[in-house]
Order: sequence, then structure tokens, then C-alpha cells
Amino acid sequence: MFFRMIRGAFVRQKGKMAMIALTIALGASLATAMLNVMLDVGDKVNQELKTYGANITVVPKQDAVLEDLYEIEGGDTAAYLREGELGRIKTIFWAFNIVDFSPFLTASAELDGGETVPLVGTWFHHHLETPAGEALDTGVQNLRSWWDITEGEWLDEQAPQSGNAVMLGASLAQRIGAAAGDTLRIRTRNGTEKLTVLGVYEGGGEEDDQIYAPLHLVQRLSGLEGKVSRVEVSALTTPDNELAEKAAKDPSSLTASQYETWYCTAYVSSICYQIQEVITDSIASPVRQVADSEGAILEKTELLMILITILSLAGSALGISNLVTASVMERGAEIGLLKAIGAQDGAVTALVLSEVLLTGLFGAVAGYFAGFGFAQIIGQTVFGSAIDMKPMVIPLVAALVTVVTLAGSVPAVGMLVRLHPAEVLHGR
Amino acid sequence: MTKRKLFFRMITASLIRRRSRMLAALLAVAVGATILSGLVTIYYDVPRQMGAQFRGYGANLILLPSGEGADFDLDAMRRAADVIPASELVGAAPFRYETVSIHNQPVVAAGTEFAGVQAASPYWHVSGTWPDASGELLLGQETARLLGLKPGETLSVVFRPEGSDAASRGTELVMTVSGILETGGSEEEYAYLSLEDLASLTGEDGTLSVAEFSVSAAQDRLRNYAETIQTNVQGVSARLVKRVAQSESTVLTKLQALVFLVTAVVLVLTMICVATTMTAVVTERRKEIGLRKALGASDSSIVWEFMGEGLLLGCAGGALGAGLGFAFAQAVSVNVFNSSIAFQPLLLPLTVLVSVVVTGCACLLPVRSATEVDPALVLKGE
Amino acid sequence: MSLLELKDVSKIYGTLKALDSVSLTVDNGEWVAIMGPSGSGKSTMMNIIGCMDKPTSGQVLLDGRDIARESAKNLTRIRRDKIGLIFQQFHLVNYLTAVENVMTAQYYHSMPDEKEALEALDRVGLADRARHLPSQLSGGEQQRVCIARALINYPEIVLADEPTGNLDEANENIVLDLFRQLHRDGTTLIVVTHDPEVGEVAQRTVTLEHGVIRRDAKNERFGA
Repeated sequence: MFFRMIRGAFVRQKGKMAMIALTIALGASLATAMLNVMLDVGDKVNQELKTYGANITVVPKQDAVLEDLYEIEGGDTAAYLREGELGRIKTIFWAFNIVDFSPFLTASAELDGGETVPLVGTWFHHHLETPAGEALDTGVQNLRSWWDITEGEWLDEQAPQSGNAVMLGASLAQRIGAAAGDTLRIRTRNGTEKLTVLGVYEGGGEEDDQIYAPLHLVQRLSGLEGKVSRVEVSALTTPDNELAEKAAKDPSSLTASQYETWYCTAYVSSICYQIQEVITDSIASPVRQVADSEGAILEKTELLMILITILSLAGSALGISNLVTASVMERGAEIGLLKAIGAQDGAVTALVLSEVLLTGLFGAVAGYFAGFGFAQIIGQTVFGSAIDMKPMVIPLVAALVTVVTLAGSVPAVGMLVRLHPAEVLHGR
Repeated sequence: MTKRKLFFRMITASLIRRRSRMLAALLAVAVGATILSGLVTIYYDVPRQMGAQFRGYGANLILLPSGEGADFDLDAMRRAADVIPASELVGAAPFRYETVSIHNQPVVAAGTEFAGVQAASPYWHVSGTWPDASGELLLGQETARLLGLKPGETLSVVFRPEGSDAASRGTELVMTVSGILETGGSEEEYAYLSLEDLASLTGEDGTLSVAEFSVSAAQDRLRNYAETIQTNVQGVSARLVKRVAQSESTVLTKLQALVFLVTAVVLVLTMICVATTMTAVVTERRKEIGLRKALGASDSSIVWEFMGEGLLLGCAGGALGAGLGFAFAQAVSVNVFNSSIAFQPLLLPLTVLVSVVVTGCACLLPVRSATEVDPALVLKGE
Repeated sequence: MSLLELKDVSKIYGTLKALDSVSLTVDNGEWVAIMGPSGSGKSTMMNIIGCMDKPTSGQVLLDGRDIARESAKNLTRIRRDKIGLIFQQFHLVNYLTAVENVMTAQYYHSMPDEKEALEALDRVGLADRARHLPSQLSGGEQQRVCIARALINYPEIVLADEPTGNLDEANENIVLDLFRQLHRDGTTLIVVTHDPEVGEVAQRTVTLEHGVIRRDAKNERFGA
């Protein structure tokens, strides 16, 4: 009989129940959309912040800085990293968080006019097979996303024609009157070489006065086969906290459990530490300019989204409970009748609550999918990628809807229990 | 008593005496209005607040001497800084590079103003303290490691003018290392001292090598400032730091789009929620509508009474919500960005207007359908 | 001339004939009780006379005007101007005070006049309860407010649907006394009831059964 009564309520009060279900669906979809977006916004914004370029630089232990300061070239005193080891960067604990990396080797080249300019060897668009069998395409094309190619095109060392192709900084190109397609003669320690200018870039920094060439070319010209002087790494990181700062100073000062937490969190300091573990004689340090701001922006964005989410959750909770209260109170007469024919308070309460909860279930399921749709719209429009479906949103939304519907029913049920059947039936 | 007076008396009586139900409706409208005004305020404030966060990336506009022998000094930098409104200029730092020797090793010394650097480059990590008196020096981590120096130690800085013969002793200044600088960039290879110390060491004021500006402005406006500086300040060429300026506009545009979409979705859903609540509130009064019809009320007068009630609710809820929304936006701003926001006066009438329209529309539909009901059926002993 | 005249009025709901060619004439100042068991067509007749429903066929002449052919909008106006309604469930607006409820009828009719409304409440003996809300009034008091509201616009016909159905005996007597007073004042009264005691006090009793008039007679005991 209980179920017949509930069924009756649904079938015969279609309009009203649909209204409650609609409101619950709206609230649930709002909650789902906001929770999904909130939980994924960190990853998404982190990806966006990669446009700032590398946040970690790796240099040899005996620094190649000497070269900059003393203007000594080559020589056996300078230390280098080994190009062959670079693939190992994708094998560290946080390999998945390494978005891009690129090696650099700088030599100087004398132009025809007698001017000496830095010749920077690097990967432009390098295809890399990691020891773990993964493939990765990386290079400065990703790490210098802010460069404008003013002439020609990006160099691609995988393309067959790019034997001696190089790219020229805009200021340099202007100064020497070179354009894409021109041939350039340079003199290095190991002789004269002809280079083809494939493109001209504008980066707004010192790179505008440099020549960027494929790594192997610079290695050959400076006699440093297989060696690189610096690696820039772009990694997705978690904003630093106290533990990370302590660890960054001296990892050995941590307790075993602290060390484990630190090592297994994607702090920039722990990723640096792990890179040092795999690259022989290296020092990996965060680029403060990028790493610090990244942390701050991520934190602010997440906090902002959390607060907006709380506001919209509160909004949908109030909306739902309001309507549930209204619709239960409306049924005073019917409940009075049930009580008059002998229904106990408990039975009446159970009936009303089951009806409302069942409606809530329909609404919440519909709302979950609608909300997931909204989240995808946001993800695709803003970030051009799908928002991850976070399983934890389901129990959260379910709990929210249940609690809110029950809470919304409480004042109404309380009123129904106090109701005197006689009053109701006499139309008061 | 005039008709109009009774009209308002009936509406206010309905609002006051049906307190709990009307409070529920008012709450719904107020929550909707709170979300509206709160989110719109945040939406307008996010670029400014987030923009401030992005200043953590440091300088986005640099000034260079426009050519060989150009007269680029502190005054020129100040004149350039005057082009940018003080509220947008986060920090300005001059740099003058000279090669000096410390412990007989050549080191690039940079003369600067430390207050300006701290504002313009918040990412500089200093262990020890920033120099704040004459004779103090900030040493890049790399240089400190090479020279084996720690904070608190003293050293002598020697300057030999270019072209002077190697045997000359040059000028010497004894300085204290106040802190070690860590940035992860090329700054770690330099030694920083105040412009005054560098001037007394070299014996001349000299020209600045570069000045870094951190400006809280979008890329387009930044470009305008650069052009103005270029034409108005002699001897200076201004350039955007592309990496910072362009990346900032990319990311900031996305963040703003994010907040915009989130705001839109939340608003649409909330407004529908408010509308269903109002619809429910009106629908449960079908019986009363039937009674009024039986008493001889015309459809239009019933519609007006209920609309009047709805509009009053919309006004009250809207005004309440506008206030609460501002409080929410303020709380968000203080918690997230540690700064307060300005009240947008235009938002108050806008919020009230939207609330009134939404509640009005939400009431209109059920009232209209209720007036089509046969009064006899509604009154029939239910 | 008769105030109200029903000529061959039928009302058909699907296959059910609620009223079957009923003819009835009510004169000005008459007090008529319409009686009959449930389903006899009383309510249908009351709705048609009260301009809340239209007959399927036949003529309903109110003041010589055929209201069966009027639009819904005109029916509302006629109801407002000529008919005062009293309901079994009282149907007061529960958030308005007694006097405000009375004034509501004035409001829709012409001009609200609080003094007049208070006088109407005084006539039904509720002068001291004028500022109370319906929830603070007893059933009998509520019904008297309802009567005051029905009378406020000086309707040509007062139409009461089971006016004592929800009242105890004491209150029933008060209401019936008010009806006697109205009758003496010359008001035309049509009372729909299934309560013989209420029917008997009327001047004339019309008994309906299965949609047709079974009996239409003057009451011997009237005025006694």
C-alpha cells in the first residue's frame, strides 16, 4: 500500500513532482559543474602557465657560468652534461609532470663583418624515445611559446632539408640585413661553415641578438659532441609549502616520513632533486621567476573557484530546500486526511520523505549529467580540453542533495506532525 | 480609502502576515541576487586582482639607452615612469652594469635601487638581508659559491677603468655581503650594490644599462606606454618583455573567460531556481485566485495584485542580495587576494532590476494560468 | 417581474446529465432553498446562477438578460455587480483581517470604504472582531464575515452554498437569524443545502433529484 501511495503521488501529481525534480536537477547540475571545474582548474591553469616557459634549469656541477663571466671558451675546465642522459628526465618519479625540456649549448661565431655573436644550439622539435619506451616531442618550439616568427618558419630538425638551417634573432637579422632563405657564413674555432637562415624570430629578450641552431650542429662546430651546457625543464608543480621550503634547503634534514611525503609530491624542489638523481653531476634549480608566480597564481585561482563553488552550492541548497518545504506544506490537507484515517506520525513522515527523496534521486541523476555537460562546455570553451570526470563528485553531489532535501523537508514534516486532522478537514 | 491604498494594503498584508512563506520566497530572491551581484563584482575585479598576481613574474617593460652614448640616467627613468599612472606601476628598477673585480676575480657588478628591485622582481630570494645601507652588497648565489663568501663577510671591490693599464691599482671599496641572491637565473652570477656606491667606486654617475618596469596593464596598453615613452623621453628606447607580457595576456584572458563562463552558468541556473521557487509560491495560491475571481475580480486586476507582490519581493530581495553579494565579493577578495574591492554603484540598480524581472516573469506565468481556471472548480470544497 | 428565470436549462458533462431541462423562476425578494442529495445537480445549478459556469443549453435570464450567452469577462462583471456569494468553506483570504476581507469585495466592485465595511461587520455582530485575522476567528464568525462580504455591494441575489455545513448548531442559528434579517430587508436569497432544517426555514423549497426538479413548494411553516 505504501508503494501504491507513493506511485499514486508520482503519477497523479506529475506536475508538482516534476517541478521538485527540476529544481533538484538544477541544483545538482550546478553543484556537479562547479565541483568538476573546481577540482580540475588547478591542472588546467597549470598547463596554461607553461606558456611562461621552463621553471627548472639544470646545469653541470662545475658551472658553465665561468664561460659567461670569464669569456673563456671551451677548454677542459668547463663541465658539461651528457646529451645521452637527457631521456632519463622522463623516468623520474614525477615523469608524468615533465611537460617539456630542451638542452642548450652555446658557442660563439664570428660573422663576416667581424662581429661575434652567440650561437645557441638546442632542440627545436625533437623526437625522443625515453628509456621507458615512451615517445615525446619536445624542444624550444614549446618552451618559447612567446616567440613570434616574423619571417620564414620554425626550424624542424626532423625535416630532411634542415642540414645547416638556423634561426636568427630579429635584432641581429635587422643589423646584418639577413632574411629568411639567405645564406650566412660564420667562423668558429673549428673552421668556416655556411648556414641557411630558415626563419627569423622575435622574443623580446637577449635571444634577439643570437643565432639558434640545431644542437648537433653546434656540438660539431665546437667539438663538444654529445655534450650540453644547460637544460631547461618545464614541469607541472604543486605550490611550495613549509615542508618543500625546508626540503629545498637540505633534504637530509627531513624525517623519513617527511622525506617520503616530500619526494612523492610534485613540489618544484622534489622534482629538481629527482632530476639531479638521474643526471650525472648536475644541479637542478627552480627558476624563481616562473616557479614562484606559478604557485601563487594556482593557489589564488583554486581558492577563487572554491569560494565561487561554495556560493553556488549554498545557492542551490537554498533553492532546493525552499521548494521542498513549499511543496510538502502544500499537502497539508492530504496529510490531515491520512492522519484522520489513522496514519501514525511516523508513517506520514516516511511517506512524505520517501516521495521527496525518490524525486530527489531522479533530479540528482539528471542534474549530474547536465552539470557534467556544463563543465565540459566550460572546459572546451576556456581551455580547449575536456574537464576530467572526477569520481569523487558523485558521492559529494549525492550527499549534498540528500542532506539538502531532508533539511528542506524537516520544517514541513514538523508542521505536518503537529497538524490536527480536524482543523485541516474543516478547511482552516 | 482609495483603491490604490487598499491595493498596497493587500500586498503588504500578504507579505507580512504570510511571513514564513514570504520569507522563504524573499530568501530565494535574495540568494539569487546575492549570487548575481557577488559574481558580477568578482568578474569585473578578477582581471585587476589576478593581474596583480601576475606581477610576480617581474618586469614586463624594459628601458634601454636608445643608442651608443645616449643620455639614459635616473632622471630619464623617472620621466619615463611618470608616463605610467602610479596605480599601475608596481615597481621600477634601474640597473647599471660595470665589470669589477672581487678577490681578483672579474665579476659583473650591478648598481641598482633595492626598493625598486624588491617591488619589480618579487621572485628574488635573498638569504640574509637586503642591503639597506651604503657599503652593503647583495651577492648572486653562483658568484658567492665561486668566491666562497657568506652573508656578513667583508670583501673589497676593485674597479679599474676600461683601457687603464693592468698595473694600475684602480679604486677600491670595502663592502659587506648582506645577503645571497637566489633566482635560478642569470642574476645569480652578479653582485648587486646601490647606484650611489657604484658611482663612488667608478667616480662617475654613468648611464644606466637598463631599467625594468613592472606594470599592471594588459599587453595593448603596455605597448601604448612603450610608444609614449619612446617619443616623449629622449635617449630611451622602451621594449616589452615579450615572454612576460604575452604569456600574461594569454593566461589572464583564459582565466577571465573561465570566471565569465562560470558566472554565466551559475547565474542562469540560479535564476531558473529562483523562478521555480516563485512559481511554486504562486501556484499554491490558486485557491485564493479562484476566490478573488468568484468575488468578481477581473483577470487583469488579479495579475496586477500578484505581480505587485512579486515586484515588491523582487525589489526587497534584489536590494538585500546586492548588499550581501558585495559582502561576499569583498570576503572573496580579502581571502584570496588580500585586498578590498570598490563598490560598483551601478550594480545595485542592475541587481534589483534583474531580480524584479525574474520574479515578475516567474509570477506572471502561474498567475496567468491560474486566472484561466474556473473559479467554481477551485472553490469546490477542496 | 421575476428577477431570475431559468428556461429549459441543461448541463451535460460528457454522458452525465447534471441538469436536465430545468425551469425555475425566482421573484425579487424571495427566499428559496434548493435541496437534494449529493449528485442531484444542486452545485451545478448554483454555479450557473452564480455566473461561474454556463449551461449546455437553455436560457438563464438575470434581470431579463440572458447570462448563458455572455463572455467569461462579462460574467465576471455581472457576478461582481449582482451576486453575493457565501461558501461552505467560508473562503476568506487568510492573511487579511475581517474588515480587509470585506473591503476586498468593495475593491473589485467599486471603491473600498472602510467605514461601510465596518458597518457591514456590525450588522453581522462582529464590530469588535473587525481587526482579527481569519485564523483568530471561530467558524461561525468566519461565516459571518463571509456574509458581510457578500452583502457589502448590495447584490440583487445572495447565493449561499451549504452556508451552515461547517457550523455547529449555535452558529447555525446565528446564520439563519441573519438570513431572516436579510429577507426582511428585501434581499433575494438562494440557499443551496442538503440540511432539511435549513431548507425548512426558507420561504420556498425546490428539491432536485437526478438533474430534474422533483418538488417546488411554498413552506407552510415559513414565518412561524
